[in-house]
Amino acid sequence: MKLKNIISILTLAAAIVACDHPTVPSDAQQESRLPHIYPDYTEVTIPFNICPLNFAVQEGADEVVAKFTYEGGEHTYGKKQKVMIDEKEWQDMLKAAKGKSIQVDVYAKVEGTWKAYKPFNIYVAEDSIDPYISYRVIQPSYVAYERLSINQRNLTNFEEREIYNNMSVSTESTGQCINCHSYKNYKTDNMLFHMRQGFGGTMIVADGKLNKVDLKTDQTISAGVYPAWHPTKQLIAFSTNKTGQSFHTKDLNKIEVQDTQSDLILYDVEKNEVSIISQMDNELEVFPTWSPDGKKLYFCSAHFEYQNDSIAKETEMIQRYTEVKYNLYSLDFDPETKKFSNLDTVYNAAAVDSIGKSVTLPRVSPDGRYILFAQAEFGCFHVWHADADIYMMDLKTKEVKPLDAINSPRSESYPSWSSNGRWIMVDTRRDDGNYTRPYIAYFDKKGKAHKAFIVPQEDPNFYTFFLRSFNRPEFMVEPVTIEAQEFARKAKEDPVKAKFAE
Amino acid sequence: MGTKHRKKIAPTVAKQSTTATNTSQPRTQEKKTFTINTWVGMGIALIVTFFIVAISLYYLIERNSDVLWMAQEKEYFTSNALYLKQCMHQPGGFIGWVAAFLTQFFYHPKWGACIMVAIWVASMWMSKFAFKVKAAWMAILAIPVVCLLVSMVDNGYWVYYTKQTGFWFYGTVGYFMAILMMLFHSFFDRKRFGSIITTTLVAFTYPIGGWYTLLALAYISARNLAKSIRLAIEAHKHPHAKSDPMVVDDQPQYGSWYGKILMPLYPWLLILLVPLVCRRFYAGIRLEDAWILGFPAFENDLLVSQHPVVPFMFLAAIPLLFPFLPKGKDIKGFKAVLVCLVTIAMMVCSYMWVDKNEFKNYNYHAEIRMYKAAEEQDWDKVLDEMGGIPGDASREMVLLKNVALLNTGEIGNKMFHYNNMGEPPVNGFDTLNVHMVQTAAPLLYYYHGKTNFASRWCIENSVEFGYDFGNLKMLARCALVNGEMDVAKKYLNILKTSLFYDEWAEKLLPITDKPELIKEYHEFDAVRELRDHMGTVLDGDNGLCEMYLLNYFSNTMNKDDKLLQELTLDYALIQKDIQLFWPRFFLYAELHQGEAMPTHYQEAAYLYGHLEPQNVNISNMPFDKTVKERYEGFQQLSQSLLNSGMQTKDVGEAMKSSYGDTFYWFYFFCRDVHSY
Repeated sequence: MKLKNIISILTLAAAIVACDHPTVPSDAQQESRLPHIYPDYTEVTIPFNICPLNFAVQEGADEVVAKFTYEGGEHTYGKKQKVMIDEKEWQDMLKAAKGKSIQVDVYAKVEGTWKAYKPFNIYVAEDSIDPYISYRVIQPSYVAYERLSINQRNLTNFEEREIYNNMSVSTESTGQCINCHSYKNYKTDNMLFHMRQGFGGTMIVADGKLNKVDLKTDQTISAGVYPAWHPTKQLIAFSTNKTGQSFHTKDLNKIEVQDTQSDLILYDVEKNEVSIISQMDNELEVFPTWSPDGKKLYFCSAHFEYQNDSIAKETEMIQRYTEVKYNLYSLDFDPETKKFSNLDTVYNAAAVDSIGKSVTLPRVSPDGRYILFAQAEFGCFHVWHADADIYMMDLKTKEVKPLDAINSPRSESYPSWSSNGRWIMVDTRRDDGNYTRPYIAYFDKKGKAHKAFIVPQEDPNFYTFFLRSFNRPEFMVEPVTIEAQEFARKAKEDPVKAKFAE
Repeated sequence: MGTKHRKKIAPTVAKQSTTATNTSQPRTQEKKTFTINTWVGMGIALIVTFFIVAISLYYLIERNSDVLWMAQEKEYFTSNALYLKQCMHQPGGFIGWVAAFLTQFFYHPKWGACIMVAIWVASMWMSKFAFKVKAAWMAILAIPVVCLLVSMVDNGYWVYYTKQTGFWFYGTVGYFMAILMMLFHSFFDRKRFGSIITTTLVAFTYPIGGWYTLLALAYISARNLAKSIRLAIEAHKHPHAKSDPMVVDDQPQYGSWYGKILMPLYPWLLILLVPLVCRRFYAGIRLEDAWILGFPAFENDLLVSQHPVVPFMFLAAIPLLFPFLPKGKDIKGFKAVLVCLVTIAMMVCSYMWVDKNEFKNYNYHAEIRMYKAAEEQDWDKVLDEMGGIPGDASREMVLLKNVALLNTGEIGNKMFHYNNMGEPPVNGFDTLNVHMVQTAAPLLYYYHGKTNFASRWCIENSVEFGYDFGNLKMLARCALVNGEMDVAKKYLNILKTSLFYDEWAEKLLPITDKPELIKEYHEFDAVRELRDHMGTVLDGDNGLCEMYLLNYFSNTMNKDDKLLQELTLDYALIQKDIQLFWPRFFLYAELHQGEAMPTHYQEAAYLYGHLEPQNVNISNMPFDKTVKERYEGFQQLSQSLLNSGMQTKDVGEAMKSSYGDTFYWFYFFCRDVHSY
């Protein structure tokens, strides 16, 4: 009797499982092209520890079937127009296909006829990816802000949670703008993010202890803005910026964000002290980033001389916005004495071509060999510049080249490296030109970038219906464990004023 | 066991009571006593129901259908699971999701109103059973519904500023849900521990019900308290029954400490604790908000408006009294008269309250009607509305009127035939500062070919007030005109999942695959023409739509496109700037050779030629005879009135009927215009 029950249950379970695995149509008409799928996962290289790459087939089909063939087995999936992969089976597939590939055959029933499309491969790299990323979720906004959150996503599954939500503290006239989350060495026991307006200050987690600091001093332009944690010391380089926004009446770039003034500062977390790194005349220094050994600070700077005293600096900047070109510089740094020296022009972007270019957001690879940055014709806010692409400089040869496999005709910006240097994540508007999405690309040992793919979501239509942007995607090797409520409690406290060190 | 006892004992009590009445009062007297029995009670309830239905439909459909249409325009719903997930980001989100779904029906205001009223009536009648109240007290049970009706008609310009998902149906769905939970509780509270268990289950709905779950708990507490009090009174009246509480109440648990203390207090304990516990699971909730999530807030920047909250406070509080309404079989004598008086008073007061609180400002309603007509490119309707206003128009209406005239090709002849004064928006009860960028600016920018600015304000407003169908449609239009086909497809695919904009979206979707098809969609013609001929600059409107349009177009010179050129001339007229006028006037004449010069342009030229003859010699210009005659007449009349000692403003008023349709009058008397 007992055995009978077990057999019944097993039969039922098998039947349920069988329903989840549709049969490949035998009479499909062969098509010579790849299927239209979204997200586009054709011929991409993925880490072996990533969540399933669910996708929707955009062929106007009533039903679809996708067959995943890998060494040692195959699985079929299909649910109306979507291909939803079982998480457990996916992990098995990735395990078996590590260092090899999975072939995907897509079948679609269009107007009653099954069609078989040209198969594509998903290559499974032998390199893992950092399990977490974090980003700010925000409308592709202009001036207004309301509900903002910094979220963390587990890339090995579909879990997402809010690290901090600005509505947990204040709304309306005391509402907060939160931004610039940053981690030391991909770990979350040293991290920070800023809060502006209501309950303003910088939330700094130092060795697991949460503090709220006001980095504005009488000697600096503003509080800290774009941050970079020193890889070994409790030091953070920040830019300080006086930023404005103006709007294109017709140009599809729509917005220009410009700094009329900017400098670089160094914040000593332990001493709660701010000191000046760079405060050059007619220079707009911004976007600091450290070399992995902590002995060099890279940053961008534009040489800009105001020429008209009769108008406001903001007005002149608006009038001459295309003249602002950022170059890439470096300063040597002695971590022991905390002294900077030897300003060096790493990449003179303003001298590229006849019109010049402008580089922003540099990031050095964990092995120190390469430096990624976003480059466009002018300005510092490339997320709104359709011509912005990701470029890479080989610091050994000084050769600069665009990463064509990653770039698209639309904006690419905010590049970052995974902790093992094998994955690059960029923020791009390639999907629709307006909403920023995080894309990941494999970067092999030969220094070649592979086709980028969007961070997978459980529902393949997620990005169509999600009307917010993913801002500043950053890799993390571990999740932020401080509860959002704890951040909120600290946020309500007055910040500790940073001291200025002469 | 307890049920068996009840069945046996209850008739005994009733019999004793009847006997007591019979012996204390003569039989003849009893016959004359006015009694509301079950049937009369039902009759009263039906009358109240009919009254509620009638007054609601009248105020919703007859008087506020324009507002209801705008309500759905400012709402967003998609059947995609992601939207439900987003709604559930805070307790009460499920109510918002349902409410947002229902708000879509206001696309056809009659449909939406009927659904809403049906839920109200259902709530009234369900509350009768949930609180076990006699039908004769339906007037009292209807008060929350009247509160909901007031909350629908008193919002005024908050229609543009509410942030709550599904705001317009939220109270309705929330109250319905609270009563439903009460009903659920009432089914099981006869069982021992039934009340405790059902109360706990109700508390578990906090993530979906938010404030309204807490409200249901409060109602349960009130009901439990009422039972305990009633028991105490009965016990006092019948001391002999003290030894057996079941003799005086059909629910034995209410006689013990468990019933007297724990059952009324337990819901309050849950009210206190559940939000605290649940808050840990939500990152974006302030501690102080945990108990009011779902209760509407009328906040904008520094303003916190209390007035529109009042109906919701009454809505919450009144049902707490329901359990204390008299019970018993028939209502007799004074109590019966009281019921009738209460019913009549409630109906009269309801009408007065609704009528007093209704936001009646004519321009507010007319703006919405004009907006809708402009959205549908029904230019005649826009002009009809403008022509029918009883007082001064708002600047939004003036701009919409000018857009309509531009599109009908009559702006040069009829621009000043309408009121151009610019009455600031009247906010009635509070000091909400209405800004055009948050009302009609996206539509106005769009019809001026300023698609970037239109989409900018759609996004800015969606950041603050959430995405809505109105701004999604506008974003889709702008993207199509801009040639941003991928993002246009995104918006249209979202709209395709809506109940009433699906066809609209499907009609436009082919353009996203074949951009040249846009030429076949004539609704985009004028906008494309203006945009395509406009230059691009880097600037900003500083939140002032009209001032930006005025400065931008009056300072623009364009000879490539007739429509854009005429717009620059029109704005030069509105600017009342002679230096800006002449070059645009001459360019217009050059571009329209062989065509009749529109009246207002002639009027401006004739006036400016007289005001500053040294600039341009107009003696050889072929002005229409009426233009000259009216100028002469205008000058003579104004001079004579001024000479008679009248103030300039009074002169303007006096001359409005005869010369209010001329540029002359506009130039001299249209002053102190308030843009916002």
